[in-house]
Amino acid sequence: MATGDIQQGTLALMVLKTLDVLGPQHGYGIARRIEQISGDQLSLNQGTLYPLLLKLEHEGAIASEWGPSENNRRARFYRLTRAGQKQLRSELENWNHTADIIARFITMNAETNS
Amino acid sequence: MKILRRFLVRMRNLVVRQSHADRFREEMQEHLIQQTEENMRSGMPPDEARRHAALKFGVAETIREQYHAETSLPLIESTLQDLRYAVRILRKSPGFTAIAVGSLALGIGANTAIFTAAQHMLLDRLNVPHPDQLRMFYWTQPKEGIVSSMWGSWDDMPDGGEISTSFSYPVYQQMRQANRSMAEVFAFKPYGRMTVTISGNAEAAETEMVSGNYYAGLGVRPQLGRGIQESDDGEVGSGPVVTISDRMWTNRFGRSPDAIGKTVLVNAQPMTVVGINPPGFTGANSAQGTPDVFLPFSMQPIVAPDGSDTPSLLTNKSLWWVLMMGRIKPGVSSETSQASLNVALNAAVRATMDVKKDNQLPRLVLRDGSRGQNPSIEGFAKPLVVLMALAGLVLLLACANLANLLLARAGVRQREMSVRLAMGAGQGRILRQMMTESLLLSFLGGASGLLLAWLVRNTIPRLLSNAWDPPAFSARLSWPIFAFAAAVSVLTGIVFGLAPAWKSTRVEVSSSLKESGQTVTRRRRGLGGKAIVAVQVALSMLLVIGAGLFVRTLMQLGRTPLGFRSHNLLLFSVDLPETRYPLAASTPILQRLDEKFASVPGVQAEALTELPLISGSARNSTLIPEGQQKKAEGNPSALTNRVGAHFFETFGIPIIAGRVFTMQDAPNSPKVAIVNQSLAQKYFPNANPIGKTFQTGGRHPFTVEIVGVCGDARYYRVRKEVQPTFYTPYWQVDEGVHDATFAISTQLDGHALLPSLRDAIRQIDTNLPMLDVRTQDEQIAANLRQERIFAVLSSGFGVLALALACVGIYGIMAYSVANRRNEIGIRLALGAQPRQVRTMILRESTWLSVAGIVAGVGTALFLTRLVKSMLYGIQPNDPLTISCGVLLLLAVALAASWIPARRAARVQPMEALRHE
Repeated sequence: MATGDIQQGTLALMVLKTLDVLGPQHGYGIARRIEQISGDQLSLNQGTLYPLLLKLEHEGAIASEWGPSENNRRARFYRLTRAGQKQLRSELENWNHTADIIARFITMNAETNS
Repeated sequence: MKILRRFLVRMRNLVVRQSHADRFREEMQEHLIQQTEENMRSGMPPDEARRHAALKFGVAETIREQYHAETSLPLIESTLQDLRYAVRILRKSPGFTAIAVGSLALGIGANTAIFTAAQHMLLDRLNVPHPDQLRMFYWTQPKEGIVSSMWGSWDDMPDGGEISTSFSYPVYQQMRQANRSMAEVFAFKPYGRMTVTISGNAEAAETEMVSGNYYAGLGVRPQLGRGIQESDDGEVGSGPVVTISDRMWTNRFGRSPDAIGKTVLVNAQPMTVVGINPPGFTGANSAQGTPDVFLPFSMQPIVAPDGSDTPSLLTNKSLWWVLMMGRIKPGVSSETSQASLNVALNAAVRATMDVKKDNQLPRLVLRDGSRGQNPSIEGFAKPLVVLMALAGLVLLLACANLANLLLARAGVRQREMSVRLAMGAGQGRILRQMMTESLLLSFLGGASGLLLAWLVRNTIPRLLSNAWDPPAFSARLSWPIFAFAAAVSVLTGIVFGLAPAWKSTRVEVSSSLKESGQTVTRRRRGLGGKAIVAVQVALSMLLVIGAGLFVRTLMQLGRTPLGFRSHNLLLFSVDLPETRYPLAASTPILQRLDEKFASVPGVQAEALTELPLISGSARNSTLIPEGQQKKAEGNPSALTNRVGAHFFETFGIPIIAGRVFTMQDAPNSPKVAIVNQSLAQKYFPNANPIGKTFQTGGRHPFTVEIVGVCGDARYYRVRKEVQPTFYTPYWQVDEGVHDATFAISTQLDGHALLPSLRDAIRQIDTNLPMLDVRTQDEQIAANLRQERIFAVLSSGFGVLALALACVGIYGIMAYSVANRRNEIGIRLALGAQPRQVRTMILRESTWLSVAGIVAGVGTALFLTRLVKSMLYGIQPNDPLTISCGVLLLLAVALAASWIPARRAARVQPMEALRHE
């Protein structure tokens, strides 16, 4: 898969899933994790994460509070809220659903062609 | 839901903006530190690590903007930004701001104040539920119709007939009985003043007599106790009850609940207080004015008996005096009710009056009753409209000023606008910026104007009523008025700020940015600004001419010879209740008062009249000269007044022939009268009227002998020319005189005598209050109050207009000169004299003013015709007024352009050519 920009919606999905898996995490941690999982295939300006985090917080999907980071400095930790979990579940469903439909089209083309 | 939540959070964030900026900075810091450490751990040198981390983060500025966009509403942010900038700009040029805000404040303030008055007088409705359902009963009849004896108000119709609201009591009763079409038909009568004694203190109070279903018909619920009911309005004397107003409850009962059930004396008759009306209830007659005491009709013969041998007006079939009102039934139209009640009216008239074969019966007319009869309207509607027009002109002038100032500033700020455009601002954004500035100005002007109107809120009601009466209406500033002021402010800001703002966006960026603003001497025509100033001059001309006309009207009225002497006369009235002094029992009291007052030290002369002079009221009676027959209808009549023995002497009315009244004209002697010259000339031409007789007196005619002829004197209004009048001695009046006004002539300050005069009254009867203390001059001034208001206000507006026009002309000429420095420099360099340059500028401004003046005079010639009825002694196109106004405006225009012209003449050619 070529490196490319990703949309905000999918980025939000990744952030929520990351928090779901890792538990409370600070901004840098989330960015590193996303890098790791996507296998450095995505070019992502890490800074753009922060407006997104703020947006999710305003929507009520995540909550934040100050806490000590690994090197005993202050960092802002984000965690998934109940509403956020619900949102994650529904977004995953949508994603799978969309993927199913697209998959059907792809396999269909392959059949008729052959 | 999400969107709403984000929106609300954004609103909150407007306030906590700073903390978000801090938070982002901290998080960014932390992130970069962690990334740098990571990089160093993978082997990069520190500098490289830091750079790499920053690159990976992304462009901080852009991300910060995204962050920021997440936290706030961009629209509000930028508007706030505009506002802050506008405030800064306005503070930098305080002169401009002061003039703009000041002139707007005056314009909007004047309009708001007058709008308040207009709203109260013209629009205020009765304070009852659903006033739009109420109908006031009127009737019309042709001239000299059946109804001849009326008490109340009546008006002439354009076709020669008359229209009135007064019905006779028997007719009302029959109409009410026959009513099937209206929900309720009730009656009332503003009865005038009665003496009300509460706990021994006697004072005069305005009263309203009402029918038993009045409260039900109006839907008024008393705040305490009960209203007047049907059971109170039955047999004569069966309902000795009153309800009182909230104001009287506050002033004279201290708002104590014991007021209910208390006994008070009304005209010396005991009555029980049964209810308190709600505050703001003004009776049914009008939305202004407050009757304090309400009593049922059934008490009339006892409390306020008519001074004749038939004390009851309730059975009187010939006097028409009761006002009627009805509430329509939902579903039944007004026309249907009018038609069916008209039938009832006809039947009632036939039953109660003597109707001949070809007499035309009165016809019923139902009119909107939501404002009652609103007697004040007839006098005030037209003047108020004229005042509003004048105030509107002043506002227009102020707005023109604002527009001009904004235009001039737009010209000056061209460079700033070009820089903005060059930096990438959209035209819409600049337009928004300029509109914010002009709206800010107009809001400041509107707020100051509202404050101004609030400060002077009491002057207009006070101007509109007599000095000794309560103000004509309360000067509450209500929501419609705030809305009005706000609307006017916004409108002026938008309308008059739009053109200059639009002009700002049409700037040629490249040429404006160059060091020298013009590469060639472009002569800026500046037509827009000049047109506005010409309009300003025209409006000022209009206002100045108007002011001149009103002021001269007042002067003419002041110069009118009254026929009597009006200075140094103190007036006050007494009201003898018929209940204590029935019929002629009042005469000895008046005589004793007459003598007592004459003996009070300091009193030079005193006199008594039933009706004070120049008070707006007059008594009128039929007059049939000897030798003529009395006709059934259409008899000649004259004005009459009942006076004391010293009347002519105290008022300085000359006796031209014959004698004055003496003690020999006793109550039982043959009745005498003194006539004025107009009456003598009209009814006894070419003959000596002394010794002749005439018959007078409507219901009980009697013969009067003329014993003297006096000079003509104005009677009830300054504007009304002298009419045939005859005077009779008060002690010869069979039914007695019960309302009298005393005139005291003194060299001292009249008010210093009041205590001794009050004592004199108290010695004769402790229950007689002294009413309406004023001087004869004040009485006359009150009669002229409308003319006075107009003279004062229109001159104020005229001065304001001149000032605004002056500022406008100065502004445009200064601007023009500043723009043409290049051209003037060249002229001077080529050999023109400074004097010639000055003349050139002055000539330009004179042309401008002349254009405005001509337009103004033309409009004035057209418009002043509309106020002809308000003028006195001069024509609407009075040439003297117009020419004085023109000269005044020319002088002001010249004065205003003098300084710019001098500045033009002082231009140094080299400097002018060098800079721009």
